[in-house]
Amino acid sequence: MLSKHNLVRLTEYVWEIPPTFREDMRVPARLYADEDLLDAALGDNSVVQLVNTATLPGVIQHAIAMPDIHQGYGFPIGGVLATRLPEGVISPGGVGYDINCGVRLLMSLVPVEEIKPSLKEIASALYANCPSGVGSHGPLRLSNSELDRVLHEGSRWMLDKGYALREDLDRTEEFGRIPGAEAAYVSDRAKERGRNQLGTLGAGNHFIEVDQVAEVYDQSTAARLGIHPGNVAVQIHCGSRGLGHQVCEDYVSRFQKTVKDYGIVLPDRELVCAPFESTEGQEYFHAMACAANFAFANRQLLAHLIRSSFEEALAGQVSNFHLHQVYDIAHNMAKIEEHNVAGHSMRLCVHRKGATRAFGPGSAVLPDDLREIGQPVLIPGSMGTASYVLAGTAGAMQETFGSTCHGAGRVMSRAKAKKMVNGAELRQELQSRGILVRAGSMSGLAEEAPAAYKDVSRVVDVVHKVGIGKKIAKLEPIAVIKG
Amino acid sequence: MADFEEIEHTADWAFRARGQDLAQLLENAAQAMSAFGRAKARAEPSVAREVEVRGIDRETLLVNWLNEILYLEQTRDEIYDRFQVSEASDSHLRAKLYGRPSAGTGSHIKAATFHNLQVRQTPEGFEATVVLDV
Repeated sequence: MLSKHNLVRLTEYVWEIPPTFREDMRVPARLYADEDLLDAALGDNSVVQLVNTATLPGVIQHAIAMPDIHQGYGFPIGGVLATRLPEGVISPGGVGYDINCGVRLLMSLVPVEEIKPSLKEIASALYANCPSGVGSHGPLRLSNSELDRVLHEGSRWMLDKGYALREDLDRTEEFGRIPGAEAAYVSDRAKERGRNQLGTLGAGNHFIEVDQVAEVYDQSTAARLGIHPGNVAVQIHCGSRGLGHQVCEDYVSRFQKTVKDYGIVLPDRELVCAPFESTEGQEYFHAMACAANFAFANRQLLAHLIRSSFEEALAGQVSNFHLHQVYDIAHNMAKIEEHNVAGHSMRLCVHRKGATRAFGPGSAVLPDDLREIGQPVLIPGSMGTASYVLAGTAGAMQETFGSTCHGAGRVMSRAKAKKMVNGAELRQELQSRGILVRAGSMSGLAEEAPAAYKDVSRVVDVVHKVGIGKKIAKLEPIAVIKG
Repeated sequence: MADFEEIEHTADWAFRARGQDLAQLLENAAQAMSAFGRAKARAEPSVAREVEVRGIDRETLLVNWLNEILYLEQTRDEIYDRFQVSEASDSHLRAKLYGRPSAGTGSHIKAATFHNLQVRQTPEGFEATVVLDV
């Protein structure tokens, strides 16, 4: 059993489990948390899961947990793990089933008061136009060759078809297209599951949220991102839908044998992996990149549907309701990145499972207009609570392979949340606080109750104080659309 | 003893299923997943599907079986609630799924995982704990 006694406190918010804790650990495990968040992390199996990741072949420096860490099914959610190439591994279970689950933030120049009279119409239009729930069908019917193009091109395909603006791609991680995608390594089953799902939200913790900018912490950076106090914003949280789930299933199942072939011994079978440069590792990476591009395309099409919904509800009543894209980030992904480790530039495979890339100022992979301020980082809160816009920092580049937290992090099981919270009452309570709710399932709503999550503000405060993310602005919800 | 029961898990769903033999364990695990999925079916004539699943060992077979059901539900727009495993070895099964067309809201489960998965032999038969990604 793991307890606080097994942790060494390095600084006020950084804790370490030394590799002597368990003999299969190859590197230390590091947690970013205040005392309460640490207690929450020790309340379930998440820290053991973190220790498990420290055993993967090729792991470098330390396995990392962000303050929103919670129990997952292999990696903890809120985990970052880098392996050194060429000998390091890539782990499909480390990326998870919802490959490139992520967040997109759209921002308007309209003050919230101007759209308040039309908020019901906006929420209804969003619920009608953006299909939600499991297995829902989107507006596009793609042929095999068109689907392959989406998998190879991501958001760029959406640009060609008129569902994106040029500047949307500039404001998307990897410009909405991960290199290395090869659709031949995506199974027919995965394609079948994804074919009709572009432009759909899904269920679980996925949502579309209309927000207002409640607070700005860094005026000049916020202004450069087009974020102004009191204005209306929209967040999208979703991923690669059935296509990504099937890609992960295919490779986690296949790698059960692969690990034996490579003589890799693991503490948990969900952590199966293959050397990145091996045939199996490369094939998974090609398929994962396809699913990631599918997710970028999915959020892009949803952004288009959201813009149409705003037009439907606001045309003729509000002027200049255009939504410009602040950024789109992934929080479930394995990426090939160059990082400076102990004074040496190294090529790494960085797994972020419920963690966000947070590249600091000067990063060569950012577009010119963001290079000075660092990459925007989007941290959605739990339903009905605040969300944050951060910027990547030099501290993140030095300490966490350019990564930071991804959200609030659960503390309560879905079963317990459903016992404690009544979905219809919760909707009533949110509405009495001025938050409109459109949801397909009341029990699904109850599972996502704010009480089931950590306080996102505390999570964000930790990463801000430690310097692996910089607070730029705070958003508060006025309407929530859920599956 | 119940055929399956829920186990506390912070983010996802987890359950323990039992069976007098492997076939019954596989049936009960599918039954558990169906109960957690909360999918709604239409009041229409029932459908039946025959499936054959393989895996390199019992654990892989169990996960592949559950994921086969999720795949069929999503691509055929059907919801299954009765499972009959006619043949089961450590690496192969044959089964029939019975259900009805989906009412639009499919299963809330993304996938069955291998997390801490072990199919154990007990004095009463077989037992397994499965974590589902939601």
